[in-house]
Amino acid sequence: MTHLSINALTKRYPGEEKPAIDSLSLEVESGKLVALLGPSGCGKTTTMKMIAGLLEPTSGDILFDNQSILNIAPEKRGAVMVFQNYLLFPYMTIAQNVGYGLKMRKVDQATIDRRVGEMLELVKLPSLGDRRPKELSGGQQQRVALARALIVQPNLLLLDEPLSNLDAHLRFEMRDLIREIQQEMGITTLFVTHDQEEAAVLSDKIALILDGTLQQYDPPMGFYESPKSRAIADFFGGVNFVTGTQDKGRFTSDLGAWSAPRGIEAGSGLATIRPEDIEICEAPGENVVSGNIVSHVYVGTHSRLKVDVGAHQFHVVADAGIIKTYGTGSTVMLHLPAEKIWVLPHAKD
Amino acid sequence: MKWERIRIAVMLAPTLLVISILFFGSLLYGFLQSLGYNPNIGATDINFDAYLRVMFSEEFSGRFWSGLTLSLWVAFCSTFVSAAIAIFVALLLRRTFFGKKLAVFFFQLNLPIPHLVIAVGMIMLFSQSGLVSRMLGELGLVTSPRDFPALTKDAYGIGIILAYIWKEVAFFGIIVLAILQSLGEDYEAVAQSLGANRWQRFRTVTLPLIMPGLMSASIIVFAFTFGSYEVPRILGVGYPKMLPVMSLDFFLNPDLNARAEGMALSMIIAFIVLVLIFIYMYITARTVRKD
Repeated sequence: MTHLSINALTKRYPGEEKPAIDSLSLEVESGKLVALLGPSGCGKTTTMKMIAGLLEPTSGDILFDNQSILNIAPEKRGAVMVFQNYLLFPYMTIAQNVGYGLKMRKVDQATIDRRVGEMLELVKLPSLGDRRPKELSGGQQQRVALARALIVQPNLLLLDEPLSNLDAHLRFEMRDLIREIQQEMGITTLFVTHDQEEAAVLSDKIALILDGTLQQYDPPMGFYESPKSRAIADFFGGVNFVTGTQDKGRFTSDLGAWSAPRGIEAGSGLATIRPEDIEICEAPGENVVSGNIVSHVYVGTHSRLKVDVGAHQFHVVADAGIIKTYGTGSTVMLHLPAEKIWVLPHAKD
Repeated sequence: MKWERIRIAVMLAPTLLVISILFFGSLLYGFLQSLGYNPNIGATDINFDAYLRVMFSEEFSGRFWSGLTLSLWVAFCSTFVSAAIAIFVALLLRRTFFGKKLAVFFFQLNLPIPHLVIAVGMIMLFSQSGLVSRMLGELGLVTSPRDFPALTKDAYGIGIILAYIWKEVAFFGIIVLAILQSLGEDYEAVAQSLGANRWQRFRTVTLPLIMPGLMSASIIVFAFTFGSYEVPRILGVGYPKMLPVMSLDFFLNPDLNARAEGMALSMIIAFIVLVLIFIYMYITARTVRKD
């Protein structure tokens, strides 16, 4: 198991004014699965390619177990990358694809055959060794690509958007399989994705990169409950924001004063609360606001409401059956639990 | 649907008719002449005498078999060396570097230049009295033209091979470069991250991926270099002669009786090229089935 350290890693492409990745530093503990999360073009794949040795950093360092690997050839780093589009060699059988890494290491054929069998078993494709890649579905091809990477027992497994080409059902299946195998084998894994839900479900920690810069590096819950900026809250689906002033655990805005002990201690602030944390209540009280339902969408397991409160609009996720009590145009009272409100620093215009 | 098909067939018919008459007509006429049928000189018997004479008679067999050997040698060397150089250069040219566009332009510059011009260029540059020989003489590196190696008009077809390489590298290059650029470098990156070194990546990834395109181009170049006469006519020697030059000699012989041998040789060349095309189609079909 390998401990990965990234120190002030920067990549500037020739002719580009802004670096693709700027002074990225993070630590990935042995055997953990970390997601590099961010929108397209934010620099996450660039980071992964630098770790794999496929791109040279402009500055900074990458260390495996406290040893710099920048001078080690990519093929000797043991950082194996699984690409988004699988990239199985089309002229080889599935077994040949899976055994490729061992063949390059000149392992004897009997061992290769045995290990290929084990790997195909692991990814639940035991009988497909003789097939060609084009005879397999996208999900199966991605499993083969995973088996091909795992067979060489990499120091570090790098997964570049491995689920983005799969349909919803396969994505869930593959997500579980990746987590299961990663935990079973204990391989330190870095996982690139633009899907915050995927990152939250799969990883031990998330490194959110926006515009080439690391914004926050925390376990998934931290991004939902205590985002460090409005941009981070936005990225994780935060939609309810109220500007005001924070002082000694009380947040004051045009909607009144709320108890809000989490976040900044004092000063101009931006209070945020997730739609699923807002409760519909019957009576006025502390941290309760009243408003009119302007839209109501039933989505099976729950309902999504938009509620106008003064000059603000709150998004609320409520029980699916709420529609029986409150329809569009009804007045509703919303309880904003104090422990769920997070107050960010907010610069006044 | 049915009328649409008929309409397409009717529209294509005039072109197909002209091509068919010109191609199959001349092929049939040539084949008949190779069988000795030439009413212009009163020869109406059909037989394989010309084929037998060309291949097995005391008069021609030595020239035929040495010509066939030379033709195969020249075609094989030209194809193989051109392909190898083109792959190497294409691998360099696919990288991003300053002046890449200019380098690609120069690499493909001789594509539109006719083979005849290349052959004449070879004589002017690399013959024993050519520019290179004279420059070396001026520098004192050779004392007389005979000291300069015979790169043209030599028995091993070196000049012919060099001329074909000069010309065909660009042809191969444009095909290999297009394939490499369409593939990108991700397959090689996968192989590298799985532990493959530079040579292993080339042998197990790059080469198999470009092979179908390379095979098509190789068949075209092999068939062309095996069957064309301009370059060997200018750069070759009196003995051995490549088969197309021998065929032309028979054809240009004032004795019309020699026409049958000329046509028999042309048919043999066409037959060998056809066999190669069938081999290619078999390999391609097998590759397609596999992939």
